[in-house]
Amino acid sequence: MSAAPMLAVKGLSVHAGGKALVRDVDLRVAAGECLVVMGESGSGKSLLAHAIMGDLAPGLVARGEVSVAGERIDALTQDERRAFWGKRIALLPQEPWLSLDPLMRVESQIAETHALVAGRDWANAKACAAKDLGRLGLSASARQLPFRLSGGMAQRVAIAATMAAEAGLLIADEPTKGLDADACAGVAASLRAQMEHGRAVVVVTHDIGLARALGGRIAVMRNADMVETGDTRDVLSAPRHDYTKMFVAADPAKWPRPVAHTGGAPVLRGESLSAARGAKTLFEAVDVTLARGEIACVQGPSGGGKTTLGAVLLGLLPPQRGVVRRADGVEAWRYQKLYQDPVAAFAPYSSLRMALDDVVRLHGGEWAAVEAILARLSVPLDLLDRPPSQVSGGELQRVAIARALIVDPVFLFADEPTSRLDPPIQRATMELLRELAGERGLAMLLVTHDPDLAAAMSARDPIRIG
Amino acid sequence: MGALIRALAARLVQAALVALLVGVACFAIVELLPGDQAYRVASARYGEDMASGKAAEAVRAELGLDRPWPIRLAAWLGGIATFDLGVSLVSGENVAVELGHQFGATLGLSLLALALSAAVGIPLGIAMALRGGALDAGGLVVAAALRATPAYLIGLGLMLLIAVQWGLLPAAGYDNAAAWPLPAATLALGLAAMSMRVTRDAAARVLARADTHFARTKGLPESAVLRRHVLRNAGVPVVAYLGVQLVWLVEGVVVVESLFSWPGIGHALIHAVIARDVPMLQGTALTMGLLFVALNAAVDLLCLAIDPRGRRA
Ligand SMILES: Nc1ncnc2c1ncn2[C@@H]1O[C@H](COP(=O)(O)OP(=O)(O)OP(=O)(O)O)[C@@H](O)[C@H]1O
Ligand SMILES: [Mg+2]
Repeated sequence: MSAAPMLAVKGLSVHAGGKALVRDVDLRVAAGECLVVMGESGSGKSLLAHAIMGDLAPGLVARGEVSVAGERIDALTQDERRAFWGKRIALLPQEPWLSLDPLMRVESQIAETHALVAGRDWANAKACAAKDLGRLGLSASARQLPFRLSGGMAQRVAIAATMAAEAGLLIADEPTKGLDADACAGVAASLRAQMEHGRAVVVVTHDIGLARALGGRIAVMRNADMVETGDTRDVLSAPRHDYTKMFVAADPAKWPRPVAHTGGAPVLRGESLSAARGAKTLFEAVDVTLARGEIACVQGPSGGGKTTLGAVLLGLLPPQRGVVRRADGVEAWRYQKLYQDPVAAFAPYSSLRMALDDVVRLHGGEWAAVEAILARLSVPLDLLDRPPSQVSGGELQRVAIARALIVDPVFLFADEPTSRLDPPIQRATMELLRELAGERGLAMLLVTHDPDLAAAMSARDPIRIG
Repeated sequence: MGALIRALAARLVQAALVALLVGVACFAIVELLPGDQAYRVASARYGEDMASGKAAEAVRAELGLDRPWPIRLAAWLGGIATFDLGVSLVSGENVAVELGHQFGATLGLSLLALALSAAVGIPLGIAMALRGGALDAGGLVVAAALRATPAYLIGLGLMLLIAVQWGLLPAAGYDNAAAWPLPAATLALGLAAMSMRVTRDAAARVLARADTHFARTKGLPESAVLRRHVLRNAGVPVVAYLGVQLVWLVEGVVVVESLFSWPGIGHALIHAVIARDVPMLQGTALTMGLLFVALNAAVDLLCLAIDPRGRRA
């Protein structure tokens, strides 16, 4: 083994036009070690990952040194860098659900990397794919198409496809977002297993629990800069930089507990609801009642049917049994939904400003009110002129929240609405939603895998699904 | 399987509606045309000079043209339902037998044109999406120009250039293989322009998608990315658009067959209109309509084959 670290980055910057989106970053990760990259949403974590991989979007320019196992790769041509993809550097993208081919069965999407990247023969590749799926608890979904997978299941499929060729360096962009505690523990275990196999792992995450579970070293980013680095456990227990302190303190476990909601006319009532997808029953005899201004939470395992409950409550899917009643005299569009996957909620080619403006004009809202909400959510207004593909995952998620609030909803089905947000912004977002619940009587059903967040948002026992 | 059966059942219903509509419409057209039907038939049959009032009366009696129209209409529709399409008012031949000869010519021409247009338009569209630049810009201009040109102009241009000017191929006829390229190319050019445009847009969209990017970052070689992911995903809108192209194809067949004296259904349809040969008109229109439905059913099946998402639910 050479002494060179698996990944060494020196003075790495990423620019868009004249603007620095990542500034002068230095990193070293040895084989068998782990680096956690944490930080503010939009601070450049994903761009850092892409700059190492060499797949930045057109218009973005990276400068600085990147070496993999001692080999400088930053000056290579695009084709030469591509030869590293999958074989020596593996990247788990931030949005796996969108990253799977919608027309190809899950097992084939994994098998093809075993065959075409790792160079196994097809029979062997198929056997390897079946083994991967078994290990991830997805054997039953092997022959499914991606649209039948839940967000968490797609995440696991993407991990298997990414790692098939056993690259020495794995970069994972928010691998646990939207996963329940069990699935998170599974992801942490599989990342640790990668380290034990001698791979270097770089994990971009907002999940303090995952960072603790992985250990290793941590780098905290804010506003394009790396503001603090150190041993993960030390930094998390005794942060030195103000931003890191704020980050750690914003953990939902430390939020003040809510008081029980009382009174208010019912906005939505679901009575003994049952639903199935295909032959599989997802939930049975679920009762949901929400009064104006009330917040309740939904919890349950990944793929268990939480999103389906939302579809039933919003009338997008007929329940197998049971009825859904809404308040009389309230317009149908004031029952709103926040998609689990913010990217799926926007037209890919038009600017975010257009997406918001359409809703403002359709419902006679005021643009100034939208800007006020965006400011509360710390979304810089200049990014509205870009299409959804050119903003960060957390920025897009907040724009989606702002859009849902334009129509002054009476009910919001919020499906993991802060899954891509860092703890401080998650807290600001949840406080905004709670205020709106109090001021405007907005009732909210919050889907979250995080029991601390559920306890911080609602005094009611969460509804359990699946 | 459910989706397959549903799709075919829907097309079957469509076929029945086409038959009913064609039956009623053909009947109405001829009823409303000015001039005496019996006289037109007689002159078509015996020649303009020989058609006397007496001959017309004979025709009227022979064909029952003096019965009230509801009875004649009911007889027509009954005939369609039992696949008895009657005899041509002009030639006295069984309509179904005549259609049998013509159908082969039309089906052959249509399939050849579709195959040619796919062979040209799809690879070109993909190349345009992949390369961009001058190829893309040039291709778009040519496609727009071809689409804006009516089929008969394209046909005349090809005929003048290739058959008359250069004498490479015959301008009309059906008997030998040399007669096929010109009419097929006339039909195919317009179709190719459309499929090139649709393929290019579809491929460009798929190439820019996150799943294509992931196929690359997984480490697949570019050829595998194209072959295994891009082509199939881009194929979904391309095949779906075939359904729209079929409307153009059916129109084009009528024009091109007349232009090249191609002994097919479209040619016969025009002649039947001129001669007010109701059974023949109805037979040809019906065949064209059913061919359209059948090709659409094939497109449905192809869509289900490419895009498995629709197969259940
Ligand atoms: N193609 C692009 N052109 C211009 N700016 C971009 C582009 N892509 C991303 N950005 C901007 O660069 C900044 C950093 O983006 P990045 O995706 O790295 O954030 P992040 O730290 O991963 O955030 P999150 O935690 O929300 O995913 C953001 O402000 C984003 O709006
Ligand atoms: Mg990101």
